Amino acid sequence: MRAYISVFKMRLKMETQYRGAMLGGIICQMFFGIVLVALYRALFDSKAQTIPIEQVTTYVWLQQAFFRMMVATDMDLWDKVKTGNISYDLCRPVDMYWFYYIRISAQKLMGSLMRGIPMMIVAFLLPKGWGMVLPTSFAGLLSCILALVIGLLCMCALENITMGFTMRTLDAKGMQGLLNLLMVTFSGNLLPLTLFPDSWQKVITMLPYAQLLDAPIRLYTGEYPVSGAPLIFLRQAVWAVILILLGVWFWRANRKKMIVQGG
Amino acid sequence: MSYIEVNNLRKTFTVRKKREKGKLFREKEIVEALKGISFVVEKGELVGYIGPNGAGKSTTVKILSGILTPESGEAAVGGRVPWKDRKEYVKHIGVVFGQRSQLWWDVPIVDSYSLLKDIYLIPEKEYKERLDELSEALQLEKLMRTPLRLLSLGQRMRAELCGSLLHRPELLFLDEPTIGLDAVSKLALRDFLKWENKEHGTTIMLTTHDMEDIAALCSRVMVLGHGRKLFDGKLPELLEKYDTVRTVAVRFSSEDITLSLPDGASMEKKDGEIKITYSPSDIPTADMLTLLQNAGNISEMTLESQNLDHMIAAMYKEMDL
Repeated sequence: MRAYISVFKMRLKMETQYRGAMLGGIICQMFFGIVLVALYRALFDSKAQTIPIEQVTTYVWLQQAFFRMMVATDMDLWDKVKTGNISYDLCRPVDMYWFYYIRISAQKLMGSLMRGIPMMIVAFLLPKGWGMVLPTSFAGLLSCILALVIGLLCMCALENITMGFTMRTLDAKGMQGLLNLLMVTFSGNLLPLTLFPDSWQKVITMLPYAQLLDAPIRLYTGEYPVSGAPLIFLRQAVWAVILILLGVWFWRANRKKMIVQGG
Repeated sequence: MSYIEVNNLRKTFTVRKKREKGKLFREKEIVEALKGISFVVEKGELVGYIGPNGAGKSTTVKILSGILTPESGEAAVGGRVPWKDRKEYVKHIGVVFGQRSQLWWDVPIVDSYSLLKDIYLIPEKEYKERLDELSEALQLEKLMRTPLRLLSLGQRMRAELCGSLLHRPELLFLDEPTIGLDAVSKLALRDFLKWENKEHGTTIMLTTHDMEDIAALCSRVMVLGHGRKLFDGKLPELLEKYDTVRTVAVRFSSEDITLSLPDGASMEKKDGEIKITYSPSDIPTADMLTLLQNAGNISEMTLESQNLDHMIAAMYKEMDL
């Protein structure tokens, strides 16, 4: 256990060193947020929608604030696979899947908090109809935070599956690109899932990607009532377990076929 | 029972080739990296493991460090099979891959060590003692708070070595540890390895292309080629057969000399220095010296045996590697 706690702390500490990247990330995500909000405002202006604009802008800002939690890769881990430094991790008395899982979770957690908190503060200060609004209830906020935590578990599991592909192909870019496309589309980052047709939503909200940020955000905005939260947690948890099992199995299969090339 | 016992170890890799024109499928080639290797190593031995590139040295190290699983054959280190119950096994070994890094790039090296402490569950007191001991022996005291990326190659190798030895492994694998190091760093590293081996009885298995490493460190050397073990014994025994050539470099006080060499010796003149290469089995060295003394007034002379690398090259050539 000590090893996993230690690698978690180490990765947190390392993430805090990248303050320049943090600032760059904030500016980039703020830009995307503003553009998206402007787009939805134009949409709402031209044709009245059933969903209030505040709900959509809050959705957009939360998506942008926690973007780093979803699309963040530990480049060091890719490099390890590419250069073969992974050899060292292969001869440590730890379970490698969990060792990497914990490492990724620390990066995603710290990375997104460092960017998300300042961004949310700015988003609250924006004029009404542009920025974020407070959650509908305190219980909604709490259930959102819990859902975020379970969502994080799913995200790390997804990331480890991508790592599994990297071990096979030595370069993660192709697979990562494909998986990120699915992620950005079906997680609600590109277009809030709320805005998909209802019949589509029935399927999309069941997919693993909707468990990452969409479910927590809808609990925050009150679109999902707090009374329905336990069912959402369950759905997220089921996905977390499935994704983790899939990853563990994948890694085990990789391990048997593994060759570390070169001297 | 010996400490390391390896019996008929085999490992093959499948290499997929680029598809040829006109063919529907890519061709696969099975490369036999190890074609049945057997050896034993006793506790506390310092063994050199040499062979040309692609001989299977690193594959052996990877199998014995639990990274790869062999096709067939047996291996046991201290009674444990590396690829079975890997987690328990690797607690007792340390590995240094000369071309790879285990320390974290962006953080001070001491933080990487402290993570290793937690990975190997080293008690705090023991860790402190060991770290003090190693940082003194490897001269790392001043570098502890420096991130890895700021260290020179030599410093980095010392830091890596420290990381691999923190948990006091019984067995240390060194895969080309002196690659790219300058003379001073190499000498320091060799001294350290000797010290670690003597002080703690650590068994060391060293693969390298630097023959000086082997000569300075290893009492025993194994030669590997094409996945087979070709030699196992002491270095002098290995070289005896190939150490057939001597070179004598002489300067005479006057350039005006007459020197006629017997058959089998060759001469080369450069900047007033004469280099004579001969084989002592054909012409005894004493005869050669007499010959030179009679030729003129010698002002300077050195007698050299062949460079170790040349001998090894000759050996690889004869073994058809």
